[in-house]
Amino acid sequence: MAKYIAKRTVAAVVTLLALITIVFFLVRLMPGEPFTNPKLTPEIKANMIAYYGFDKPLPVQYVEYLKNLLHGDFGFSMKYTNRTVNDIIGETFPFSADLGIRALCMAVSIGLVLGIVAARNRGNGIDFFCVIVAILGTSIPDFIMGAILQYFFGIKWGLLPVALYKGIEYTILPATALAFYTIASVSRLMRASMLEVVQQDYIKTAKSKGLSDFRVTVKHQIRNAIMPVITLMGPMVASVLTGTFVVESIFAVPGMGKYYVDSVNNNDYSMILGMTVFYGAFLILCNLIVDILYGVVDPRIRIGKK
Amino acid sequence: MSNEKSPVLEQQEQEPLTADMFVVVGKNEAAMDAISRPNLSFWQDAWRRLKKNRPAFIGLCIVALYGLLAIFAPMLSHYSYTAMDPNAMYALPSLEHWLGCDATGRDLWVRVWMGARVSLTIGLCAATINMCVGAVIGGLCGYYGGKLDMIVMRIVDVIYGIPSLIITILVMLVLGRGIHTLIVAMCIVGWVGTCRFVRGEVYRLKEQDYVLAAKVLGVPDFTIIIRHIIPNIMGMMVTNLCMAIPGAIFQEAFLSYIGLGIAPPDCSWGILAKESIAVLQMYPFQVVIPAFFICTTMLALNLLGDGLRDAVDPKLRGTE
Amino acid sequence: MKAKKFLALALAAALALSVAGCSVPGQTTPAASTPAASTPASSTPAASTPAASGEKVFRYAVSSEATSLDQQKTNSVGDNELVRSMQELLVRVVDGQIEPAGAESWEISPDGLTYTFHLRENKWSDGQPVVAGDYVYALQRLMDPATASPYSFIGEYIVNAREIEVGEKDPSELGATAPDDSTLVLQLVNPTAYFLSLLGSASQFTPCRKDYVEQYGETFAADGEKNVYSGPYKLVSSANQVYIFEPNEYFWNAEKVGFDRVEVNVIADSNTQVAMYNNGELDYLNVPTEQVPAYDDVDEAYMNGSEDWVYINAKSDNKVLGNSNFRLALNYALNRVTYNQLANNNVYEPWGNEVMPMVSGVKGFYGDEYTPNGYPLEGDAAKAQEYLQAAMSELGIASPSDITIQFTTSDNAGWKKIAEVIQEQWQTTLGIKVEIRQVTYSEIYSNVYPTHDFEVGYGGWSPDYPDPYTYLELFISDNVYNYSNYANAEFDELMKSTRTETDAQKRMDTLAKAEQILLDDGAVVPLQLRNQHYLLDDDIGGVNFYFSGFNIDWAYGYYK
Repeated sequence: MAKYIAKRTVAAVVTLLALITIVFFLVRLMPGEPFTNPKLTPEIKANMIAYYGFDKPLPVQYVEYLKNLLHGDFGFSMKYTNRTVNDIIGETFPFSADLGIRALCMAVSIGLVLGIVAARNRGNGIDFFCVIVAILGTSIPDFIMGAILQYFFGIKWGLLPVALYKGIEYTILPATALAFYTIASVSRLMRASMLEVVQQDYIKTAKSKGLSDFRVTVKHQIRNAIMPVITLMGPMVASVLTGTFVVESIFAVPGMGKYYVDSVNNNDYSMILGMTVFYGAFLILCNLIVDILYGVVDPRIRIGKK
Repeated sequence: MSNEKSPVLEQQEQEPLTADMFVVVGKNEAAMDAISRPNLSFWQDAWRRLKKNRPAFIGLCIVALYGLLAIFAPMLSHYSYTAMDPNAMYALPSLEHWLGCDATGRDLWVRVWMGARVSLTIGLCAATINMCVGAVIGGLCGYYGGKLDMIVMRIVDVIYGIPSLIITILVMLVLGRGIHTLIVAMCIVGWVGTCRFVRGEVYRLKEQDYVLAAKVLGVPDFTIIIRHIIPNIMGMMVTNLCMAIPGAIFQEAFLSYIGLGIAPPDCSWGILAKESIAVLQMYPFQVVIPAFFICTTMLALNLLGDGLRDAVDPKLRGTE
Repeated sequence: MKAKKFLALALAAALALSVAGCSVPGQTTPAASTPAASTPASSTPAASTPAASGEKVFRYAVSSEATSLDQQKTNSVGDNELVRSMQELLVRVVDGQIEPAGAESWEISPDGLTYTFHLRENKWSDGQPVVAGDYVYALQRLMDPATASPYSFIGEYIVNAREIEVGEKDPSELGATAPDDSTLVLQLVNPTAYFLSLLGSASQFTPCRKDYVEQYGETFAADGEKNVYSGPYKLVSSANQVYIFEPNEYFWNAEKVGFDRVEVNVIADSNTQVAMYNNGELDYLNVPTEQVPAYDDVDEAYMNGSEDWVYINAKSDNKVLGNSNFRLALNYALNRVTYNQLANNNVYEPWGNEVMPMVSGVKGFYGDEYTPNGYPLEGDAAKAQEYLQAAMSELGIASPSDITIQFTTSDNAGWKKIAEVIQEQWQTTLGIKVEIRQVTYSEIYSNVYPTHDFEVGYGGWSPDYPDPYTYLELFISDNVYNYSNYANAEFDELMKSTRTETDAQKRMDTLAKAEQILLDDGAVVPLQLRNQHYLLDDDIGGVNFYFSGFNIDWAYGYYK
């Protein structure tokens, strides 16, 4: 296992480097420039280009970027001219992560329960109810869901704050809006997976050896059925924790999602790269954890052993 | 372990079997050769089971209906999807405008079905292509593992890491705005999800006894994949596909939300939803329309997906 | 088996956390991370119910974060509005009038080239006096290429400023000097009629402290404590997308500063802003155009100075656009009233001239003194057809359907709808084909308009100073903003003569003449003047609005 993790860590670094390189050159292919004020004159643009070192050849810029990156320095944003990317990520990530963790916890716990309950009551009313909840979650775009939640709970009934992120009561609506889609995918996947597993021989064995229904479900069925859900979790954790543009902008959460999208729209090169590296590293880490979890949760898979 | 004996065993002990309890019935040669039910291929059987599944069949009907309306409704209406009418801004449904009008007085009935063309095409194409590409690559990685798996999975990580917006913008730069651009952009990014997922499934399945048995018997890899692995992940894949179609439709809606969707005056359900959300408090009906069609489509696809999942499940074959 | 227990535990904990959870990051970070700890009152932004605490708090929302609060690097109306409240301008534009501020009085030389300002006694928020040298340093810094200020063009009126900007001269050679600590002398290249208005609205001319710039380098003004303030308010914190201002007790006019705290939240979604205002969480709201009808009786409006039009690339490969009859046909075909209704919910002012009427004329408003012959707001389909036929016979085109023009617009909110409405009107009235080309917003002002890579395209202008020149200079043949590639020798000559003209009446007559040339030539398709509807809490007074450089000014706002 240790050897496997070491190998994967090396691979992760190589992957990250590849990601940085690709994105570094891809962003330069994007149409437009980082300096977009309609009033910018060519002379001022030249000054700004020199200020950010864009007048140097691209390979030189690339090497310099990597050097700075080794010191953990993402450089200055080009849109928010006196703020560093490190500063912006440091300020916004805690909000996105906080919101993401809440949403994820809600989504996974509710999703798994719904999936399990639906599978165990296959074909009857409870199953149908669970399926409908799941479908509703997947079938309403997040910006509509967010706006509707805000409209009813915030404005019409005045139960919860409309926006901002200043206390626990403020987190409920955005976390719910964010969780909805995930609840749906987790529960549906779990239901399908449970039904898949229930036909397996080991379940029949467990049943026929007289284990209680509860123990069969918990010990054998769920443990095996959860595998596909875990696969799904890797990228899900990464994307949910690093912020979501729509929910954050509807509920005015000062998180990363807005910057991630805006940086691309503004061609803010250093910000795009900083966000990408951060997100990429996070994603690779999540996927690594998922792969290791595979081995832990499913005894049949022993990764790294031939 | 439980110490209680099962009731069946107890009964057997009470009444021991004796030879006079059995009668020889002989054998009926004709009956042995008779085929008791029609010989169905895999897909014939799936279709038969799908038809019997009422919710799934309703789902299929809705999808088909929406498909037909998307093709024919705009042709049959005398309104153009671009004609504006300052007197009908935000009009409610009426005999002239069946679904009312949008912010610039354009007929929503026509726009909904013009939007359906775009949204359904993007949803179906992107999801199907992603599914096929992802399944093949993920399947190979999961089955063969080793170096191939390692390399492909790192590529997947890299693609996952590149902001999809950048890819969309770059594809747009090359191909211009349009449905095809969105589909291409979604496919470049989208297959990796399926790939990871299928790989995980195959990883799990290849350790199953029946695969092991087939291997021991010397069945070639190709046959194992076709006969054992694919049928067994089919159910999960169909569920996943039905989730991927709304995913693609939403992706398009998100791109519209931030202004990277298709070129005006064309529209999609995503664009209709986005435009309506600005007036949610004043004209809630504007939101209801796109939301209704998106929801019902998803519902239909999900019901269909569930039905298909059961229909293609090899373990449920031949059951009613 | 550990795994299973872990899983069960995690699951149970998960749900609990998601609902109850621990504290939210924002609750602790602003207080802990900003050195605003020196002013303890600021560290509790969560408790913002003014009524409860008796504190006079003014709260409003902006839709995007300031790009920079460095007074010389501000880059937008939004940046400018915030900086104007925390740095002292030489003079201040209040309700359209120029009032003394950092300067008590001033003299202008008869040739209009030398401005001498007598500064009043004012102090920075750290107690040090504001001296003329701080203004000089600020201006040198603005023009210095090493600063790379995106808005440095605004200082190009001063002697040597342009040469410094392009690196030909040293910043010390700038025509801004301080003979003593309370006197500032500015020398201009041309007599500039609107120079005081510019000084009164643009934050780039506010003073700057060298020691702070040197201490913080590139991160100068990145947060509240990384700058020092000479204006009515000081920035306490800009963390977590909330700007918190508190009065600057050293400000010369501190007793007139009316709020105990000002909170500016960054809220991108305009529906959310509306909801928060209705919930009493904001005191001021910009009503989104879609929702204006809902506030018909309670809202007020001001013109925010933005004027929108369709650029016509006169030298485009599409030869029809070089024909002035065709350009006039486009202008007459457009029913600006219907357009405004469809595209802007009737909120904006349809407009058929080039110059905004509220800019200064000789004595009053330009719009009152001059009425150039513009395009009829309701359009004129018959006249449009006439012009179209004339254009077609000049160009040898048989049918209108042979003409296709491409309409460029960006993915910016609202731009799409505008393009759709214009497309529909031109297609139906003229029978030509109009294609819409959508590009990203970052593209449109970097490599679409400046490189003239378009046929016709939506755009507009927000003025920096209230003078007709700001709108008309966009069509001078060698102007960098002449996206239209418009070239007319007579127009150029007229515009050039206004730069040195010291007689106000003559200058304004010439500008009006120049505007008429543009209109007769169909150089551009003017569309609308933007109205901004707003709601302001009844208890609040002293907030004023303007259309050039800034929109809202709450520096002297107060609770009634």
